[in-house]
Amino acid sequence: MFQNRRLGLLLLAPATIFVALGFIVPVLILLSGAFRAEGGWTLGHYLEFFAQPLNREVFLRTFRLGLIVTAVSAVVGYGVAMAVVEAGPKSKGRLVALLVLPLMISPVARTYAWLVILGRTGFVNVFLTDIGLIDSPLRLLFTETAVFIGLIQLFFPLMVLPLISSLENLPRDVIPAARVLGASWPAVFFKVVLPLTKEGLVVGGTLVFVGSLTAYVTPAILGGSKVLMLETLLYQRVSVANDFASAAVIAVILIVMSVATNVLLKRLASVRRSKAEAK
Amino acid sequence: MRSAGHLLLALVLVFLIGPFVIICIAGLSGGETLAFPPEGLSLRWVAKVFTVDSFRAAFWLSITLALGSTAVALALGIPAAYALERYNPPGAEVVRNIVTAPIVVPGIIVGLALLRHLVIPLGIPVPVALVIGHTALLIPYAVRVVSGSLVNLRPDIEEAAVMLGASRLQAFFKVVLPNIRAGIMAAFIIGFITSFNQVPVSLFLTGPGVTTLPIDMMFYMEFNYDPSVAALSGLLALMSLGVVMVAEKLLGLSRYV
Repeated sequence: MFQNRRLGLLLLAPATIFVALGFIVPVLILLSGAFRAEGGWTLGHYLEFFAQPLNREVFLRTFRLGLIVTAVSAVVGYGVAMAVVEAGPKSKGRLVALLVLPLMISPVARTYAWLVILGRTGFVNVFLTDIGLIDSPLRLLFTETAVFIGLIQLFFPLMVLPLISSLENLPRDVIPAARVLGASWPAVFFKVVLPLTKEGLVVGGTLVFVGSLTAYVTPAILGGSKVLMLETLLYQRVSVANDFASAAVIAVILIVMSVATNVLLKRLASVRRSKAEAK
Repeated sequence: MRSAGHLLLALVLVFLIGPFVIICIAGLSGGETLAFPPEGLSLRWVAKVFTVDSFRAAFWLSITLALGSTAVALALGIPAAYALERYNPPGAEVVRNIVTAPIVVPGIIVGLALLRHLVIPLGIPVPVALVIGHTALLIPYAVRVVSGSLVNLRPDIEEAAVMLGASRLQAFFKVVLPNIRAGIMAAFIIGFITSFNQVPVSLFLTGPGVTTLPIDMMFYMEFNYDPSVAALSGLLALMSLGVVMVAEKLLGLSRYV
């Protein structure tokens, strides 16, 4: 019954044509701007871009924040995911709903909350002044720490949800078995739990790392022009300076980094798995 | 070990959910500037949200945009998912890659590309470009969620319907569609929320007069330090909470995220 391949193609055509013309073509034209100069092809825009100390700083900061946010979410995520899985089926459903909820709320609202907490007259400063620890309010906003806090709150659920589903598929008795056979807790984690749940870690890690690299709202509100990341730099280059060459360079960097992360992490997971199977 | 896990879980939930509680309280402030704890409680900033013209216009644009682009994404995505799952057409992998490409491209680049290479050269109106950008962003989700439902639906029941005399079209509308209804509704809710909350794609496509709610909020907070954005954020958070609770009751939404 499903042999009619022409019908299949016909059903696929609208979505494919829409995405190709309305999305892929404009994006490719934009990206090609990063390699074009008057009269020909060039890599000069990249050299110019990385010649600027500010651009290098923003590039490294984006990369660094992405790595830190991913690492912290992974470490905390395992602890939280284990606690959720152990909580039993009934409270598990409720806990997962609580973890999903922040994902449904506008990132602007989510980030704005940190303005209320970290601002000059915000919660933290009022509290620290009241207990006499500080005399004048600390500058907490427009720092890398503020951006880090905002990103962690935004992306943590994307790490913990895949970890929860991986841990659920972990056979119930492997941890007690490893303990009975004399493995220490760190050994149980690194030799048993981690290898068996790395698929969840890879999915979560990709989502969090790429999400942090390409975040706009959080660095825009909590970092401002003091703590630029690649996306806010792109916006600034276009809206302030009409500098489309730099914008195209940043676009290429962002896409290459997110595609590379997807490919590399996926490969990492499957290579390790086939090795484990070979053993 | 176990109590340490519970403590960590509690701390993380406070970190994730606490800010919303704080923002709701800050939005109920009676004072002139944003502060926590607020100076007295009142509903004046909640009331003010409804009187700001730009918020009202942006809210309706965001709602229309979210409904429109989710509907278009599903209209394009459902047939595509069906073809990919059932017909295994030639070049299916290529098509799958094309259709899911919008996921790996950061939104801000999509917005800029549409502005520079669609809106300006072809004279496409900005609202249409917004629908195009948001739809492209939602198609991958629509295809993935609907594919997921189709995998769980055995093809035999369609074949049975056709053998019993239904046309292909009837079989699709009377047998397949009702059975993947939950998946379609989940895709609709996820798509609506994604579009409604979307900032980067819209950033370059909006301007004076045509702006979406999250972007209008970001502009407003740049020049105003009163609690009205906190009040609006609180309202939006409550709205999302309502949608999630209803969806969870009806479909178990957390299975699809």
